[in-house]
Amino acid sequence: METARKFIKTFSNVPMLGWLIGFFAAVLIEYYWGYDYISYYLGLPKIPVLFGALIMLKEPIMIPGAIAYDLIVYVIPILFIAKVSIFFTNRVAAVLEKTPLWMSAIIHLAFFYGVLHLWAGINDYRVLIVKLTLISIILTISINVINGYQGEFSCSHPGFMAIGAYISSILTLYFFVNDKTFGTAVLSSELGPWLFPIALIAGGVAASLGSLLVAIPSFRTRGDYLAIISLAFMFIVKSAVENLNVIGGARGMGGQPDYAPLPIIFIWTILCIWVVHNFVTSIMGKALNAVRDDEAASESMTVKTRKTKMTAFMFGAFWAGIAGGLFAHVLAYINPGMFSINRLAEILAMVYFGGLNSIIGSIVGAISINVLGEALRPLELFKWIIIPLILILVMIFRPYGLISFKEINAKKLLRSKHKREQGA
Amino acid sequence: MEALIELIQYIVQNLINALQRGSFYAVISIGYSMVYGVLMLFNFAHGDIFMVATYIGFGIATLFLALFAGFIPGPLIFLATIVITMFLASWIGVFVEVAGYRPLRSAPRASAAITGLMIGIIFETSILILLGAKRLSFPPLMESIAYNVGGVYFTNVKVMIIIISLLLMLALHTFIQKTKWGMAMRAMSYDFLAVPLMGVSINVIAPLTFAVGAGLAAVAGILYGQAYPILDPYMGVIIGWKAFVAAILGGRGSIKGAALAGYLLGFIEIFVATIFPSTLRDLIAYSIILLILTYRPRGFFGMEHSTKLRL
Amino acid sequence: MKKIACLVVVVFAFAMMFSTSAFSARKTIIRIGINAPMTGDIPKVGEGSKYAAMLWLEDIEKAGGLEVGGKKYEVDLVIEDNESKAESAVKANTKMITQDDVLAIIGPQSSKQAIPAGEVANKYKTVMISPWSTNPSTTLDRPYVFRGCFLDPFQGPVVANFITDEFGFSKAAVLYDVASDYPKGLAEVFKEAWEKKHGAGSIVAYQSFTTKDTDFSSQLTKIVKSGAEVLFTPQYYNEVPLIVRQAKDLGWKGPIVGSDSWGSAETVELCGESCYGLFFSTHYAAAGAKGATKEFIERYKANYGYVPDDVAALTWDALHLAQQAIQDAGKITGKIETDRTAVRNALAKIKNFAGITGNMTFTEEGDPIKCAVIVKINDKGEYEFYKSSCP
Repeated sequence: METARKFIKTFSNVPMLGWLIGFFAAVLIEYYWGYDYISYYLGLPKIPVLFGALIMLKEPIMIPGAIAYDLIVYVIPILFIAKVSIFFTNRVAAVLEKTPLWMSAIIHLAFFYGVLHLWAGINDYRVLIVKLTLISIILTISINVINGYQGEFSCSHPGFMAIGAYISSILTLYFFVNDKTFGTAVLSSELGPWLFPIALIAGGVAASLGSLLVAIPSFRTRGDYLAIISLAFMFIVKSAVENLNVIGGARGMGGQPDYAPLPIIFIWTILCIWVVHNFVTSIMGKALNAVRDDEAASESMTVKTRKTKMTAFMFGAFWAGIAGGLFAHVLAYINPGMFSINRLAEILAMVYFGGLNSIIGSIVGAISINVLGEALRPLELFKWIIIPLILILVMIFRPYGLISFKEINAKKLLRSKHKREQGA
Repeated sequence: MEALIELIQYIVQNLINALQRGSFYAVISIGYSMVYGVLMLFNFAHGDIFMVATYIGFGIATLFLALFAGFIPGPLIFLATIVITMFLASWIGVFVEVAGYRPLRSAPRASAAITGLMIGIIFETSILILLGAKRLSFPPLMESIAYNVGGVYFTNVKVMIIIISLLLMLALHTFIQKTKWGMAMRAMSYDFLAVPLMGVSINVIAPLTFAVGAGLAAVAGILYGQAYPILDPYMGVIIGWKAFVAAILGGRGSIKGAALAGYLLGFIEIFVATIFPSTLRDLIAYSIILLILTYRPRGFFGMEHSTKLRL
Repeated sequence: MKKIACLVVVVFAFAMMFSTSAFSARKTIIRIGINAPMTGDIPKVGEGSKYAAMLWLEDIEKAGGLEVGGKKYEVDLVIEDNESKAESAVKANTKMITQDDVLAIIGPQSSKQAIPAGEVANKYKTVMISPWSTNPSTTLDRPYVFRGCFLDPFQGPVVANFITDEFGFSKAAVLYDVASDYPKGLAEVFKEAWEKKHGAGSIVAYQSFTTKDTDFSSQLTKIVKSGAEVLFTPQYYNEVPLIVRQAKDLGWKGPIVGSDSWGSAETVELCGESCYGLFFSTHYAAAGAKGATKEFIERYKANYGYVPDDVAALTWDALHLAQQAIQDAGKITGKIETDRTAVRNALAKIKNFAGITGNMTFTEEGDPIKCAVIVKINDKGEYEFYKSSCP
């Protein structure tokens, strides 16, 4: 225990930038030597895609090799580089600290994205996982606004997602693609990627308009009625899409153009985190928390409860719509069956696992459930025992989720750790 | 005239269909509603408790038919199956309460709901692992005889399902209204903070509530096996969510409300499919529910929330 | 710090020591991917695919590997569960193609997974054979995607013609699942074919329900009342018994006809005597099979205890098609992209492949020209060959 604490303390003066550089080095090692040398000499068939989880579970004999690979490629270089570079990184971080926060954040994010891109680029399977995980992050954050910050129990997120997915797909297919459903493209397909954000936003707006159908009847009183009204809404959306043969009905709709590469999704995710963060820390967000904790009291404190609840609900639905639109363009196929009970269970699992009332919690929740779902693939059926068990344990020991009621403090996260080192 | 008779036949036929369907929703949603009413919790595992109970019923029925068929009369086997399955299934309810809900007494309600959902998934997967991908066919515990009365078709199984469900509800009503345990449950649903101070332990009432709910689900499961004799591990999912809808539609803590809402759900489903094109069934059925809740946000018999809700 | 460094070195050395295959050269292994629904709505379909694949692998292993261009290669199966979900099927295909370096993919079985998964396979130029997907979109404009079965637009008219010829009926009812693409598509095709034959309005009841429904009484009441002479229901094996029983309880006297989704051993097992005497169209008939088909059925039954479904038989054929294509390709270069394209070209050229579900030649779209079989469920509950219909 003592050793572990000492070990952690050794790295307490590494700033975020240092970790990023360490990660960068690890990715470079993997990129240049991963396949030809390291995994070759360790007897691994390929570069382990998810830190060796898949291969370890499938062929236990590979466990030592996979662990060794992780140590050589990730753990040792990251720790080493991060520690060695502190003099440099702390200085740079100190310089960045003097610039406006947004600039520092953008520089960090750009660097992070570059590293992520390189890491994912090694294998397209990684790209797909990262894409879907980022979309899940948007989805989880958006439901956290409703189920966490607003304290309701909404079940309609798959419905909002479906609306966003369908509207944005219809727009892109109608305007930019020659296909069977909508005939020839109206606009030049070169414009597509540039106008894609508009299609996405249209999907989001449609989803938030759809959310009014739930919000107007259910916010007249407080209670559990939102839960079933929203559930009914989800079924209504699914059934409506099934009956619309114009957009494929139950057969689904395919052939969406590939307008959602990794950088685009990354930008949308960051945008979502930023906007939602601002929303929940604004006066509106505080009012929302007040309404959740005591509606009558906040009403008497001049909070317009109904307006607050409606705005937050529509806001959450908007981002769910965006996530749906991105999802449709990643998979290039959607059908109404995708936006049903199973999806709901997955979304609820992610948000309650990660933690209520916390953006960072949502990010952790989305990443954990997605990565667990992929990493435990080789266990086949047992995967569906282990994941629920983990969730139950988390619920028992941390009833509000892993990281709840915590906000991101970008400044603290990115600052130089120089001073603390001197103090110690 | 002939057209009128045909119309009446048609309506009566669908009434019987709806009664049968509604009986299942009613019995299952009562189980849901009890947990919801007494403990204010969403029991998302209820659909899967129903599923496991049906599998247990399947096992018991198969065993009894193999052992005693021939020298013990059919109805007795039927009754024995129901009683034993109820007993075994109620332990499943207790297990869910103790393992999934008790550790979360002070946690937000939603967390408990998620735990329930996850327990449900574990049940589904365990059945899939234990019994394989094969679907099972529930053995008929009584021979199905079809009757045709004036152009209306029904079977003795249908009639039996409707009657047993009604009897069961009556029994439950008596239990809730007349016994000490029932009184404790009602008190708990009225105020779960004050009642434990009066010497009624929530750690007794909560498992009891779950057990009764699971017992009801067991009967529903056996009857379900008679009407729709195909078992698969995911059979409880949709039914569980529908029971959830019915329980809330009926109003918090109201057995009567849940039963009524269950029947209503059955009627809506059957009659919407009868009157409108059947492709629009779900669309219209859920729109009706949405409308009902818009005008009666507390459900049918729900009481006003007197105390502040737990999150 | 020193301790930690020591620890790391020890762990590392330990790891290296036990890494048995360390420092060994990479072998060229032929990997075949199976993308099947092991969990989700139709786990039985996944099981059938998996078992058929395991039998195939057994054969290959007995022969000491797959011989391509005079050299034997080790063969490995990569079985991935698609959870009966579209996005999981996409993930599984991406994983198998980019991570496991499979040479060809068999599956997914259902169209709703095969359509998006086919997009992935085509993008990465990897051969994908869907044994069971009957939706035309699966292979449309996708040179790398093939299928092992006939299409809905072929099957619908076959059934319509069969009913007309066999019974001479002119009024039909349809009951299908509106939320599932396969029944919905087939119901539409059947309706079109029937109305072309008997004029508009000859489908007197066109009723639907939603996946996972178990009560069809209101739809069936409508159908009984409509005066239809025959009921066509292109449903899966878990719904067929319920539909048949409830229809009989509600006074339905006419025949009920189905499609290839009935072709699972479970249909009769679950349905019992109510299903005896009914007809459905499918890919192959298990009872009274001859030659290789019989051999396969008996082997499967001996190994897994039940008569294989059409899915298993089609998967078996798809695997053999892939095997043939790999062998026809002539050689394995070890460069996976080249090999995949070679396999694709060889597969497109296969003519008159003798499968256990019939002879196959691919069209330009990658669809086989195949005969459909009308099967009667006989009094012993076996699927008996009744008639075949070829394009």
